[in-house]
Amino acid sequence: MLKRAIKLNMNEMPYLPPKAIIEAAQKGLLNLNRYSNSEDIEQLRVFLADYAEVSSEHVILGPGSDLLLRETIQTFAKGRKIVMVSPSFFPTVQTAKQFATKLISIRLSPPEFNLNLDFLMNELNEPCLVIIDNPNNPTGKILLDRHAVEEIIKNKNVLLLIDEAYYEYSGITFADMVEDRPNLAITRTMDKAFSLAGARVGYAIAGKVFLETFSSFYAFLPSFSLHAAIEALKNPEYMRRNIHRVIEEKKREMRALEKLDVQIFPSSTNFLLVKTMVPDAVRMLKDIGILVSDVSNQLSAGFLRISIGTREDNDTFIAGYKRILKDCD
Amino acid sequence: MKHTIGLIVNLVAGMGGSVGLKGTDGAMYEKALALRAQPVTPKMTKTLLSHIQKKEEISLVVAPGKMGEEYVKEFDIPYTVLGEVSEEVSADDTKRIGSEMLRNKIELLIFVGGDGTARDVYDTVDSEIPVVGVPAGVKVFSSVFAVSARAAAEMVDAFVEGTDLTEREVLDIDEDAFREDRLASKLYGYLIVPNVRIILQSGKEASSTSRSSVDSKKEIAAYIVEQMDRKTLYLLGPGTTVKAIADEMGLRKTLLGIDGVFAGKLVSADLNEEGILKLLKIYKKRKIIVTPIGGNGFIFGRGSKPLSPEVIKRVGKENIIVVGTKDKIKSMDCLRVDTGELKVDLSLCGYLEVTVDYKEGIMVEVRC
Repeated sequence: MLKRAIKLNMNEMPYLPPKAIIEAAQKGLLNLNRYSNSEDIEQLRVFLADYAEVSSEHVILGPGSDLLLRETIQTFAKGRKIVMVSPSFFPTVQTAKQFATKLISIRLSPPEFNLNLDFLMNELNEPCLVIIDNPNNPTGKILLDRHAVEEIIKNKNVLLLIDEAYYEYSGITFADMVEDRPNLAITRTMDKAFSLAGARVGYAIAGKVFLETFSSFYAFLPSFSLHAAIEALKNPEYMRRNIHRVIEEKKREMRALEKLDVQIFPSSTNFLLVKTMVPDAVRMLKDIGILVSDVSNQLSAGFLRISIGTREDNDTFIAGYKRILKDCD
Repeated sequence: MKHTIGLIVNLVAGMGGSVGLKGTDGAMYEKALALRAQPVTPKMTKTLLSHIQKKEEISLVVAPGKMGEEYVKEFDIPYTVLGEVSEEVSADDTKRIGSEMLRNKIELLIFVGGDGTARDVYDTVDSEIPVVGVPAGVKVFSSVFAVSARAAAEMVDAFVEGTDLTEREVLDIDEDAFREDRLASKLYGYLIVPNVRIILQSGKEASSTSRSSVDSKKEIAAYIVEQMDRKTLYLLGPGTTVKAIADEMGLRKTLLGIDGVFAGKLVSADLNEEGILKLLKIYKKRKIIVTPIGGNGFIFGRGSKPLSPEVIKRVGKENIIVVGTKDKIKSMDCLRVDTGELKVDLSLCGYLEVTVDYKEGIMVEVRC
């Protein structure tokens, strides 16, 4: 039988959620012949609003934050230029390219990957939808602060959508600004930090302009997803403990990689962007059962994105990397 | 039927590196020998040969002795030896043996060396057959090279499997400037290489953008042509991406020259600075279209000298259109300018939009 592959390519939480959440999800399967209950949907919105410290009327649910991003782009791209950063979350780039009247990306250059706000502002001279992932994927870099957000949304021609998929790791959010800024929206997910990737619970915290369009958007999330998410939000302490474990593991992995002549870029997420001199490292690692993400299509050759796994998975990765390094000599 | 593949090893390439000479062009080779520099190409050649997976599907045509024959003996690949080499190997040997190999109908030429070797190969092969460049020189800036000997072996396998082909740049690097830590290079020409991108990259993210560079250039060209104004003079710079724009318009453009286009017609080809300035007196609305040199990112000052500081001043930064495929743009840190006039260089610094696809641009920093 084939040995299980080590999955370090999707930025999932490597730890299972507590038993109570799995049991809640199982309970949600009991009425599999029925659509999910609208009261459960409403309850989840209230829990999420409480968690994000906003009023529930600003919360929109969706089957994964990537689909909410897609829906937003599809809805608002018409007649607007889309402005993004490059690199960025790849499915969003693909969607933007599909629907944009014109797509302009501000390049983030290594090794700092900073966003030059002046250059971004120069692009906002016509109706625009600005989409920025903060922290950025795949660099892991925080690109925005409050001043930058204020500057961008000051321009009423501009809609700003910030993807906070890794908020729980970075601790930085602009959700509290949404209630007073109609042209600002935030997307988030319970896939990553809450160990619920299989449930696909995404949500947006949206300002008035976005809400008006989304008033008819009503996502029937699967019942098991709703039950699992509600249970997770009743007691999110497990999530905070797991975040702490992942961050500690990330530090340990960085120390190990530093000894292996790998260029590591600081990250505010649960993944590391690294640059290796090993040609074709992704395939060599895959050949020994370790999956990492090849981001050389957005950056240059040698760039990899490695999710932080369990201690055991990370040790296997480090040992595997040493092995391919040796094979290259 | 086995594929017939030529192999030329430039023994002196890379020798200067270990003794700090930054190149072995001209008299520097003797200096490297005096400093007891060791050849690096034998190891690279053996690494290449050991990693070729499709050995049973190829037969090699090799240069004699240390230019190829010596290294293939230990591998299970059939080979024939072609030509003779002089006691002191030189660029002439590469060119002469390369020509003989072409006459012997090789389908692919593998060369082990640096930028100088790539130029010799370009002089000999041009675009008659594809090549695989194994990076072994001190100066390896041309994008024609694989990233390593191992990657070069994968390119050979990809060729055998019938992968598509793409063009890559050969640069002319000024060794004297390089020794002074200045990168003075210009576009020398293009060689054709197996397109390994599709084969080398894996996973969801890579596969969704896999597209040949020819297709990408066509998309860029289609968008630029759509945006063109018939009352504006367009000065088309060198390079295949800009040439694709002329192709889209049904015009014959010089690959390395600057050509003037107005109202869908070629008004002048292969212009020098004087010719451009004359055109600028006639046409009041004008734009320059350029593509950066792969690797170092120069848009002005390398390979496009007729686009002088005076020309750039008269046209203005706002009328410069930069085009380039995503693959090319992501491989460079930034765009660069070195026109020879600091004031002009500084006026170009900041960010410029590079059209990378149909309706898609990336704002890239310009440095000088």
